[in-house]
Amino acid sequence: MLEIKNLHVRIEEDGTEIIRGLNLSVAAGEVAAIMGPNGSGKSTLSYVLSGKEDYEVTEGSITYNGEDLLEMDVSERAAAGVFLAFQYPVEIPGVPTMTFLKEAMNSQRKERGEDELTTPEFIKLVRARAADLKIPFDMLKRPVNVGFSGGEKKRAEILQMSLLEPKLCILDETDSGLDIDALKIVSDGVNHLRDPNRAVIVITHYQRLLDHIVPDTVHVLSKGQIVKSGDKSLALELEAKGYADIIEAAA
Amino acid sequence: MTAHTPRILTEGETALVSALAEAGFSDHGDLRQKAIEALEANGLPTRRVEAFHYTDLRSMLKPGLKVAQRPSEDAAKTIGAEFPRLVSDAAVLHFRDGHFFDWGEELPEGVSVDANMPKPANESVDPSNTTGLINSAFAQSGVTVDIAENAEVSRTVGLAYAHTGVADTIAATRFAVNVGKNASCRLIERGVGRDGLRYLSSSVIDLDIGAGADVDFIISNEEGDAAQRLAQLNVQLGKDAKLNLFVLNLGGKLARQEINFDMNGEGIELKIAGVTLVGGDAHIDVTSRITHHAPHTNATETFRNVATGRGSGVFQGQINVRQAAQLTDARMACNTLLLSDDCDFSAKPELEIFADDVQCAHGATVADLEESYLFYLMARGIPEVQARRMLVRAFVAEVVEELEDEALVETLEGRIDAWMERHV
Repeated sequence: MLEIKNLHVRIEEDGTEIIRGLNLSVAAGEVAAIMGPNGSGKSTLSYVLSGKEDYEVTEGSITYNGEDLLEMDVSERAAAGVFLAFQYPVEIPGVPTMTFLKEAMNSQRKERGEDELTTPEFIKLVRARAADLKIPFDMLKRPVNVGFSGGEKKRAEILQMSLLEPKLCILDETDSGLDIDALKIVSDGVNHLRDPNRAVIVITHYQRLLDHIVPDTVHVLSKGQIVKSGDKSLALELEAKGYADIIEAAA
Repeated sequence: MTAHTPRILTEGETALVSALAEAGFSDHGDLRQKAIEALEANGLPTRRVEAFHYTDLRSMLKPGLKVAQRPSEDAAKTIGAEFPRLVSDAAVLHFRDGHFFDWGEELPEGVSVDANMPKPANESVDPSNTTGLINSAFAQSGVTVDIAENAEVSRTVGLAYAHTGVADTIAATRFAVNVGKNASCRLIERGVGRDGLRYLSSSVIDLDIGAGADVDFIISNEEGDAAQRLAQLNVQLGKDAKLNLFVLNLGGKLARQEINFDMNGEGIELKIAGVTLVGGDAHIDVTSRITHHAPHTNATETFRNVATGRGSGVFQGQINVRQAAQLTDARMACNTLLLSDDCDFSAKPELEIFADDVQCAHGATVADLEESYLFYLMARGIPEVQARRMLVRAFVAEVVEELEDEALVETLEGRIDAWMERHV
């Protein structure tokens, strides 16, 4: 589903190279965890996949379902099924959550040539999915993420994911700022979305999340490259030994 | 010895003088003559005149202007159908090309209308009041609306003027609205016209709000995109009076809206909110003056502005606190989004305070759309144009939604959406 080859990325503003020759492939149905120390390029990778403007790809390619992902703009990628669950979801004053959700769902449907949802269909769907994630419906009457706690923001991200039903989900440190109960709810939400036709990339610092969302593959990112790949046992090894040993051994 | 040579009139000034001579008005002759003489003597304001520093009236008036003739009943009705009402059950007084059309609109209880054009509240010829002078010289019709004391007026009263379609004509109306003590009512002033048609629309309203009265007033400038509009609202507020004014400004190639308030008694609550949308090559100016004459009065003024294309906008907000006006609380905010490289917006606060125990605050912000918001919306599949419109709408909605009347909010937001479809 996703094929990243020899990817080099730098920050547009100051030219700092963050991703330096990254190779990664993720198949449909796979849950891939990406782990790595601070500054290794994890968040940059998630932004490059979703199309954020502040980064420049200087070399390499990203192929998504046979298409050149780098040729698509942010909203086209989303409509094609790429979803980034943000590490820090922004609060957008003045934009009602329900208006935003409906616009997002119907924009994607329109882009894919599908019929738009009617308002009753939409509300019914949101109610059901919000209940699954224990999100009170009243919370959705507020503007997008405004006044949400850290945990509520992450749950709202997973709600969006479950409504938009993407094909490639990228979870950028979704576990940060979550208490144990919220971690469980969010993980259940993600597990619920595991599907043979859907790939999930879980970016995290900690093994803890991977106890709940058990990955098929684990990749260690260091200085902008994948330095080691393995199965779920690699995450346990990292937890026991720390990054330094693994990265040194790989070098 | 200094020879006192008469000024050489500019093209625009000559156009006004000859338009008045040609019009052959039979009423208010003295007032018109004095007004035009003041314009001749002082000229249209240059940008050296402080109050007109950002808006150049000289370039707006071209030779060949004529006072508009009364259009046919058919033409008058047709144009009305093109511009649906803001409030469906309002009692609307209709003006077309400056002329009153009395179509027997049923007035709500407590409201009476005198179809004779009122005189301006301030008849003294103030040479600096260009907007007023042009209106005094050219006003073709107008009405006086009286709201009885203690009346709770059930339906909105509308003052609606439209331009039917003759280019290079002046249409001018003058209104007086007197709200009796402890009455409550809502009024709408609305100017509309077709796009692509150059005309000058002039309106002056003198609004006198009696003690304890509670008034909602809405100004909606939906003039055509080639129109020139000079409008003035002068408000006198009595003790414990309350006024909520909302201004929507999105029409005209050159539009100036002056709003003046005299807070004459204790306990007055004045709330002004407005949205100015300026795109294409339009220039829209809101110039506001609030004078606190009496102690214990509150005024808040909030404008949200959006500029794009080659549009330019102006907000001048003056607050005067006289010595007697202790315990005044006055707050003014002007927030602007600049969406293109070639647009501009000038915001100027002016505070003149002669009392020592007052609170006055003013603030202005200018920004582009927040990139991180835009990215978030687009990352959920909302195309850039839609995402930008959502954010612009959110920015202005905060002031529109304070109107609290859901149907009206929706209608006004519909007008804003239509503007955005063309400009954002």
